[in-house]
Amino acid sequence: MSFNKLTLKFLRYLLIGVLVVLAGFPVYWMAATALSLNSELYGTGQVVWPQPQNFPELMLELGQVPIGLWLFNTLLIAAGGTVLSLTLGSLAGYALSRFRFHGKGVVGFLLFMTQVVPEALILVPLYAMFITFGLLNSLTGLVLANVGFSLPVACFVLKGAMDAVPYEIEESAIIDNCPRFSVLTMIILPLIMPSIAAAAVVAFFAGWNEFLFASTFLMDRGNWPASVGLASFVGQYETPMSAVMGAALVFSLPAIVFFLLIQRKIVAGLTAGAVKG
Amino acid sequence: MSMRGSKLRNGTTRLVPYAFILPPMIYLMVFMFWPLARQMYMSLTNTRIINPNRGRFIGLGNYERLFEDPAFYLSLRATLVYAVLAVIFGVTLGVISALAIDRPFKGRTIVRAILLFGWAVPNVAASLIWLWMYNDRSGVFNRITEYLGIGRFGWLTSTDLALGAILAVTVWQVAPFVMLVVLAALQSVPHEVREAARIDGADGLNTFRAVTLPHIRPAVQLASLLVCVWSIRRFDIIYLLTGGGPVGTTSTLVVKIRQTAFEGHELGMASAYGAVGLVLALAIASVHYVVEQRRMKWMSR
Repeated sequence: MSFNKLTLKFLRYLLIGVLVVLAGFPVYWMAATALSLNSELYGTGQVVWPQPQNFPELMLELGQVPIGLWLFNTLLIAAGGTVLSLTLGSLAGYALSRFRFHGKGVVGFLLFMTQVVPEALILVPLYAMFITFGLLNSLTGLVLANVGFSLPVACFVLKGAMDAVPYEIEESAIIDNCPRFSVLTMIILPLIMPSIAAAAVVAFFAGWNEFLFASTFLMDRGNWPASVGLASFVGQYETPMSAVMGAALVFSLPAIVFFLLIQRKIVAGLTAGAVKG
Repeated sequence: MSMRGSKLRNGTTRLVPYAFILPPMIYLMVFMFWPLARQMYMSLTNTRIINPNRGRFIGLGNYERLFEDPAFYLSLRATLVYAVLAVIFGVTLGVISALAIDRPFKGRTIVRAILLFGWAVPNVAASLIWLWMYNDRSGVFNRITEYLGIGRFGWLTSTDLALGAILAVTVWQVAPFVMLVVLAALQSVPHEVREAARIDGADGLNTFRAVTLPHIRPAVQLASLLVCVWSIRRFDIIYLLTGGGPVGTTSTLVVKIRQTAFEGHELGMASAYGAVGLVLALAIASVHYVVEQRRMKWMSR
């Protein structure tokens, strides 16, 4: 190996090392802070290395934060949004994948539009609408608002998967006069389970992470999801930073695990909508 | 089967697609497009938050006020600068990361996972982490700068630094996504082609320009568009880190919408900000649409 090649190799590993530090440090720091004592954080200086011996202390502090209730609300919001957007998304995906009909182009364009419109744009009208229908301060209202944005993504992911299923598979069932709805639920959906799982993860964590709607529509502390609850720590100093970081870590871990598991599928889903819209 | 029966069946068959597409579309009409239309109308009224369902029509009054307000231009400028810089830095770093880990090496899986952290962490958690790192007294950045003897900085409170501080968080979040999109495209570059270019005497940079870049260009374009759109939409990290401050240097349009509506209580005015945001989003979407159409044509040639 020539000297030149060796330097190149070294530079490449150096670059990878720098990137790993840049990308990984904030998450490392979140964990390290959670495991620190508050006397260190605000006084003597934070210890750079993680201190697992402080874990019991962290558990005690976390007990004073209603993180359990917040996560429960988050779970309800995320799960409700997932069910609703998968149901509606598979209907739309099947229609776009299998039929030609008047207005198909318009439907495609409208679905694409939803990916461009900032959530903040419909914040005020939804607020007014929810007052009228008594949906303000309710998890139901929040789910209904969230699904407007996660439904199209689910639709794109599922349509892409359905496009890959050959028509011959459903043909005989259709000739036998099987209702199209049963064709969808009994034949197509079982064949695209991996994509359904991917769409479910995307929709679930869209609801899990959502903050703007939740912080505007939910006034009652008992209804707060973790995103709003955690955000309430900003600018208040009663809760120790180690507890804040511990709660943030608990909130982040499921998202990290699932995003890493199905990274490629998520990317395919997010980009498909923008390309084929 | 009688003719009547088959005719009837044909008639209902034509309706079948609508049985599938209508429920989701009606849903979107109610919870997305009707609110959007209503927002456009609201921008022509003097609706206040005390009674959001009743406002007097005032024509272009809100827009007249908007275009005379220096805060509006500040907000528009912040939005555009933020979006453009997020695209430039986020895409550059994402492409560099993708190229760095494209070829296999020991520990690639774990490196790839760590590089995706910023993308996977929920926005609110990311905001809390970075708020802590930017903390005036005890944050890690100020501890480092103090140790280096250059003193402390008000990362989020100085008009010179705040936008950059927000951008750092944004880049941390979007670069991994760009990396994933570009990595997928890199896998479509035939290895033999690169090999052939190298044998023909092309050095690394030339191979990149002649072989790799054309392959990943569509992916980079798409990623840039998405990062741009997301930057215009992004609310949580800006709102939580700076709240639009200091002196409005980070108050993008969406932050302004929320503040005008729920802190200033002027829903009509907030909707006018929203209308400008919609125009901006549509402009970017149509640029993308045209580019995408042209690419399709080019590819089918």
